[in-house]
Amino acid sequence: MLNIVVMIKQVPDSSEVEIDPVKMTLNRTKARNVVNAADLNALEYALRIKDKVGANITVISMGPPMADAAIIECMARGADRGILITDRAFAGADTYPTGLTLAATIAKLGNVDIVFGGDETTDSSTGHVGPGVAEFLGIDQITYAKEVDYEDGYVIATRDLEDGDEIVKVHTPVLVTVLLNSNVPRHQSLRKKIDAIRKGVESWGINELGLKPEWVGLRGSPTIVRSMKAIKEPEHLHKTITLDKIDEVVADLVSKNIIKVGGK
Amino acid sequence: MVGLINAIPVANKDEYKNVGVYIEHRGDDIKRSSIEMIGIGKQLARKINEKLICVVIGDKVDGIAKEVGEYGCDIVLAAESPDLAEYRTMPYAQIIGDYIAEYKPNIFLLAATRNGRDLASRIAVKERTGITADCTVLDVDENRTLLANRPTYGESTLAEILCRNHRPQMATARPGTFTPAEKEKDHKYEIVKKKVNVDKSLLGKQILKFIPKKATDLTAAKIVVAGGLGLGGPDGFKLLQELADLIGGAVGSSRPPVDLGWITRDHQVGQTGQAVRPDLYVAVGISGKPQHIAGMKFSKVIVSINKDPNAEINKISDYIITEDYRKAVPALIDAIKNFGKQKVAEAQKA
Ligand SMILES: Cc1cc2nc3c(=O)[nH]c(=O)nc-3n(C[C@H](O)[C@H](O)[C@H](O)COP(=O)(O)OP(=O)(O)OC[C@H]3O[C@@H](n4cnc5c(N)ncnc54)[C@H](O)[C@@H]3O)c2cc1C
Ligand SMILES: Nc1ncnc2c1ncn2[C@@H]1O[C@H](COP(=O)(O)O)[C@@H](O)[C@H]1O
Repeated sequence: MLNIVVMIKQVPDSSEVEIDPVKMTLNRTKARNVVNAADLNALEYALRIKDKVGANITVISMGPPMADAAIIECMARGADRGILITDRAFAGADTYPTGLTLAATIAKLGNVDIVFGGDETTDSSTGHVGPGVAEFLGIDQITYAKEVDYEDGYVIATRDLEDGDEIVKVHTPVLVTVLLNSNVPRHQSLRKKIDAIRKGVESWGINELGLKPEWVGLRGSPTIVRSMKAIKEPEHLHKTITLDKIDEVVADLVSKNIIKVGGK
Repeated sequence: MVGLINAIPVANKDEYKNVGVYIEHRGDDIKRSSIEMIGIGKQLARKINEKLICVVIGDKVDGIAKEVGEYGCDIVLAAESPDLAEYRTMPYAQIIGDYIAEYKPNIFLLAATRNGRDLASRIAVKERTGITADCTVLDVDENRTLLANRPTYGESTLAEILCRNHRPQMATARPGTFTPAEKEKDHKYEIVKKKVNVDKSLLGKQILKFIPKKATDLTAAKIVVAGGLGLGGPDGFKLLQELADLIGGAVGSSRPPVDLGWITRDHQVGQTGQAVRPDLYVAVGISGKPQHIAGMKFSKVIVSINKDPNAEINKISDYIITEDYRKAVPALIDAIKNFGKQKVAEAQKA
């Protein structure tokens, strides 16, 4: 049977996140935590492969202890096993140690055929973790997939690129990152949720993975954030214009050389 | 494959010199975003008196290599093989990794296109170094440290990220942010061409088909006329297209019309769509939710057409037209047409 791993991250619901206008930081406390939306699209493709040919789906997430709720949610949608990779040492990781930690988890699971992830997260939105994991594992990758199918040892997927759709076929093992909104994730089932809570989420720390503390988290991150500053936004006029005065808008835009009228 | 291993600081940072840029192309056409990367790469290299080194990979790349040189690159590294005709992650990452090992660039940049991102972090891990994604401001200081700035928190904050002890210092940059390089007459450059034998084990990915699409690159547009849920249906976009055609703009959209199938996703502006910074943004029937604003708030002039006088978008607008768009947009179109006529008449009189 196929072994599939889905990498998911718990993120603050971006429709609820507020930005503290003074401190310029995310006010996460108010926002609900949810599974990163694209990761649910990734899980859905994993579940479709399971429906088609049978598969063992393990959901993994690196995060604080409360992220187990996100993993339970994925199990309630049909994943078989959930592992939370959690340890103080993992905190503050940039994409390098995040990829390393996830790859070490996948390597420890062993015999993985397909690794799924989202195309990017809503809170860090780099899209760098997936390809990083593939490099650590030395396997090929299919990124920005909007259709994913599995047949006889191959993943066939459509990549959504800026200038066209690319249809590719790669033999397993392979890592696939799935485009946000590329499918409609199935609902959680109450029965599966109860099973998931009974089964529980396994928790692995740095010792289980055999990584050194200085390799992971903030210490293992090659990049550091030196400063944060508010972005200066353009000033605006805030002029209210009634329809009979709409000529004024046109005149202003023409005088600012923004639109050209006549003789074109 | 790098194996399950940590990032390592380099012992002698001074061994790393020059600015590298990866050039993305489809067939004989260099991506506009890569010409932007040449532009910013050149600026950084010249600031610290170093060379700009560009990497071109493909089947037949002489034409592209030459063009890259004309844009102001100093050394063009060109890798050629029939196996490299199409972009594939594994062989491309391998070749760039080999070039980085040989040339030891201090900085290495890629455009944050989809294939650019597909490649970028793979290379960073291979080189056991750090990378900053999706930068909108790039600079270099006197210690040759790359100052990589990327927006975070819904574009409200700019984070400055450094990669102090690992080399190369890598970054991807958001398409549409930097000014494309212009060709320099008489610029001297060197092309170092290499015929490569690609390891067959890296060619496992079969590309069955490529279906080109005419995607709207909103990031290149100077004017964007965007519609939202307030249009009430797909027909509203016809009216917006008419306005856009009249003033040489492109049509954009908030997310709901895309989700409802009124317009294709390549028109979406916002956090999960494209980020645009045009001279003029006309927002029609768009309320101005944070996820939308994130993609357009750096527009120079913003016109809002909305029935609701308290629409959030009005807070960042220059001209606020509180009307049903079915009246306001045709009125604007007429005003532009008549304004033109008036000018022409005045000119004729004079
Ligand atoms: C994770 C996430 C990512 C998202 N990413 C994006 C994104 O990238 N881009 C994006 O746009 N949204 C995004 N959204 C959605 C976003 O939160 C808003 O739902 C969306 O921007 C609202 O679109 P709208 O302004 O068109 O619709 P509405 O908020 O419904 O506003 C419609 C407006 O039209 C006006 N109106 C109605 N009728 C008329 C009329 N006849 N004439 C004139 N005005 C009229 C109304 O007064 C109202 O202001 C995202 C949401 C989430 C959760
Ligand atoms: N902490 C994490 N735990 C599990 N998966 C992650 C984590 N961070 C990122 N990912 C995966 O990598 C994808 C891309 O994330 P990012 O590179 O942060 O945009 C996500 O959609 C997830 O599938």
